[in-house]
Amino acid sequence: MSLCQNDIAYDAPEWLTGEHMTGTTIMAVEFADGVVFGADSRTSTGTYVANRVTDKLTQVSDKIYCCRSGSAADTQAIADYVKLYLDLQENETNEDPTVEVASRVFQMLCYQNRDMLSASIICAGWDKNKGGQVYCLPLGGMCVRMPFAIGGSGSTYIYGHCDNTYKEGMTEEQCLKFVADAVALAMHRDGSSGGMIRLAVLTKDGCKRLNIPGNQLPTFWSK
Amino acid sequence: MVSLAVDNMLVGKDEPKGFLFENCRRNAFMAKQGVTLPKARSTGTTIVGVIFNEGVVLGADTRATGGSIVCDLNCEKIHYIADNVYCCGAGTAADTEFTTRMVSSKMELLKLRTGREGRVISALRMLKQYLFRYQGHVSAALVLGGVDVTGPALYTVYPHGSTDKLPYVTMGSGSLAAMSVFEDGYKVGMNEEEAKKLVRDAIRAGIVNDLGSGSNVDITVIKQGSVQQFRPYEVICKKSERQGDYTFPAGTTAVKSSHDMVPFSALRVTDEEVMEIS
Amino acid sequence: MAVLVDEGYQTHPTVQHRFFPYAQNGGTVVAVAGEDFSVVGCDTRLSEGYSILSRDVSKVRKMTKSGLLGCVGFHGDVLTLTKMLDAKMKQYKHTHGKDMSCEAMAQMLSSTLYYRRFFPYWVYNMVAGIDNNGKGCVFSYDPVGSYERETYRACGSASAIIQPLLDNQLGYKNQSNANPAPLTRDRVRTMVRDIFAAASERDIYTGDEVEISVIDANGIDTQRFPLRSD
Repeated sequence: MSLCQNDIAYDAPEWLTGEHMTGTTIMAVEFADGVVFGADSRTSTGTYVANRVTDKLTQVSDKIYCCRSGSAADTQAIADYVKLYLDLQENETNEDPTVEVASRVFQMLCYQNRDMLSASIICAGWDKNKGGQVYCLPLGGMCVRMPFAIGGSGSTYIYGHCDNTYKEGMTEEQCLKFVADAVALAMHRDGSSGGMIRLAVLTKDGCKRLNIPGNQLPTFWSK
Repeated sequence: MVSLAVDNMLVGKDEPKGFLFENCRRNAFMAKQGVTLPKARSTGTTIVGVIFNEGVVLGADTRATGGSIVCDLNCEKIHYIADNVYCCGAGTAADTEFTTRMVSSKMELLKLRTGREGRVISALRMLKQYLFRYQGHVSAALVLGGVDVTGPALYTVYPHGSTDKLPYVTMGSGSLAAMSVFEDGYKVGMNEEEAKKLVRDAIRAGIVNDLGSGSNVDITVIKQGSVQQFRPYEVICKKSERQGDYTFPAGTTAVKSSHDMVPFSALRVTDEEVMEIS
Repeated sequence: MAVLVDEGYQTHPTVQHRFFPYAQNGGTVVAVAGEDFSVVGCDTRLSEGYSILSRDVSKVRKMTKSGLLGCVGFHGDVLTLTKMLDAKMKQYKHTHGKDMSCEAMAQMLSSTLYYRRFFPYWVYNMVAGIDNNGKGCVFSYDPVGSYERETYRACGSASAIIQPLLDNQLGYKNQSNANPAPLTRDRVRTMVRDIFAAASERDIYTGDEVEISVIDANGIDTQRFPLRSD
C-alpha cells in the first residue's frame, strides 16, 4: 500500500556518538637548561566543546612530559602505559628514566598498534645525559628528535611562523614568548583549538606551570 | 598494549571469560539480508555532577527510551559504586548497568583486600581501562563522583575510555542544555543548597528541552561520611488526570465456557508439601 | 545525510553521503467521525531528532467552513502541500462560486499526492468534516495518495500506539457483548483529550498541547488543553 511505512531512520547527532578528539595545538621547544611546552585547552566532539580547560600536558615521569593530540582515549591510555613502564624501570634501575627511553616506549606503543590508534604525541623532558630534549611522534609511529616540535590540527597554520621566528640559543623567556605567540596564532585560525594556553617549563629543578587565560591571549599580530 | 585478555569477571575458572561473540558473523549476515536487528534500550539522558564546598552532588533525569518510545518513565540512573562513590550512566542501559555493577563489585573486593575505603580514582581507572578495551562498543557515558581521603572528586568517562576531571560536568543527549545552565550559574565554593538547586535547574533544562530526557529529577549528595539520596528530588512533568470513564461493563471479556470459572474464594488448600532445594 | 556503511570489521567505517531532502518532524493527528459531526485532535509540538523546534505549531488547517485538514511528517512538505492546496481551493471557489465539498477535497488531495509519486510529499494527511449528506466524515491517506473513508483514525508519530486503542474503544474490537452507544461530541472530545495525554506519556514526539476541533453544521469549535512538556 505504501512506500512510506518506515519512519526516516534517525541518526544520533555527532556529539553523542563521536569519539573524543583533541583537535589541538601542541608545541615543545628545547633550550639550554631544559624544554618549554605549550598547548591549547580545547577537547571537542564534532562541534561540541566537551572540555574547555583540558590539560594536554601530561606527566609520564618526574622530568618527562608529553603533549597529547588525536583521540583523547588513545592518548590517555598510551600515556598511562608509558607512565607504568617508566615507573617500573625507575624502581628496577634506581635511576631517572631518560627522555630517549621514554620516547622509544611511546614509539613502540604507537608503532605496534598503529592500525588501532590515532595519536600524535610530542614527548619532551630533561635528563642528566643530554639535557632538554624534544621528540616528535606523528601518526604512524615515527620518532625523531627536533630542536622544536609542533603538532595537532592547529599546527598546520603556524609552520611558516615557527620556522621564521625560531632562533637557536633562545633563553627561557624567549622560548615562552615563542611558544605562547605560536599557540595563540594557531588558536586564532583553527576552529578546533581554543580556550586558554597552558605552558610549562621543565628544567633539572623540575616543572613550572603557567596559564594564560582565554581573555589575555597574545594578539601581537593584530596591532 | 591493546591486549584483549579479559578479566575473570564473576565466572568460574574453566568458563569462557568476558563477552561471547559467536553470533557476530551470523548477525552481520542477517543484517545484510535486510533483517532489522533488535535495538538496545538506551537512556537518552541528562546526567550531571557538581562539586561544592563539602562534597559532590550528582543528578539525573529518569526517562529511558527505545527509539521514539519511552520504555521507562522512572528509571534509576544514579548507580552505586561504593559507600562513598556513585556513578550516573548514559548510553545503552544494559552497558551502564553492567559496567557500574562490575566496577562496584571490584571496588568492594578492593576494600576487603586493603581494609580501607576505596578511592574515586580507583573506580575511574577500572572504568576507563574496561571501556578502552572495548573501543567504544560498550556504550557507557558516565559521570563518576565521590568523596575520599583526598576530598571530593568528579570525573566524566566517555564510551571510548577517555576521561576528564572538572568541577562541573554533564553527559548524555541533554548535556548541552544542562551545561548551558552550569556555565551560567556555577560558582566556586557553593554550599549544599546552592549546589542542589543548580543541579536541579540543569537537569530540568535537559528534561524540558531534550526529547531523550524526561520525567523526574533524581539527586544524590555525597559528603565525607554521608550519602543522601533524593528519588525523586522533584517531579518536573506530572501526568494529567484522566477526564473520561473507560470502565468496561461486566461481561466484556470473552470466556470460552462459564462452567470452568471457579471463584477465587472457593479455592482451598488441601495438601501442602515442602520440597527440598539442593 | 551521512550513512555508515558496515563492511564487517573496520576501524574507520566508510561514510557514504547521499541526497536525502527529508526530515521527520513528529506530531500526531487523531480524527473521529460521528453521526452529524467529526472531531480532529492534534498536538502542537514540532521536533527534529532530540530537539524541540516549536511547542506551538498547529497541525490542523481550516480548508472550508466544514472541512479540516491535518498533516504531519516533514514540516517543509507540510507547508508546501498546504500552500498548493489553498491555491487549488481558491481556484475552485472562483470557478464554481462555492466551497469544495469534503468528498471533492479528499479526491483532490489524493490526486495532488499521487502527482508526486516518485518524489513524494513526506506528509501523512487526514481530512475531516461534514459530507454532502450532513454526516461526519474522515478520510485518511498515505504519503503517495492512497486514501480511504473511515470512522476513526490516528496518524503520525504516535499512530501505532493510538490506533489499537481507537479500535477497542470506538470499533469495539475484542469486546464481547458490546452494545455501541451513539457517539456524542463531548464523549469523543474527552476521549481524544485522554488519548493524547496517554500518548504523550510514551511517545517523545507528541506533547506540549493538544488542539481539539469539533466540526458540525454550526461550524468549527476549537479548544486547547495542556500536555506533558518533557
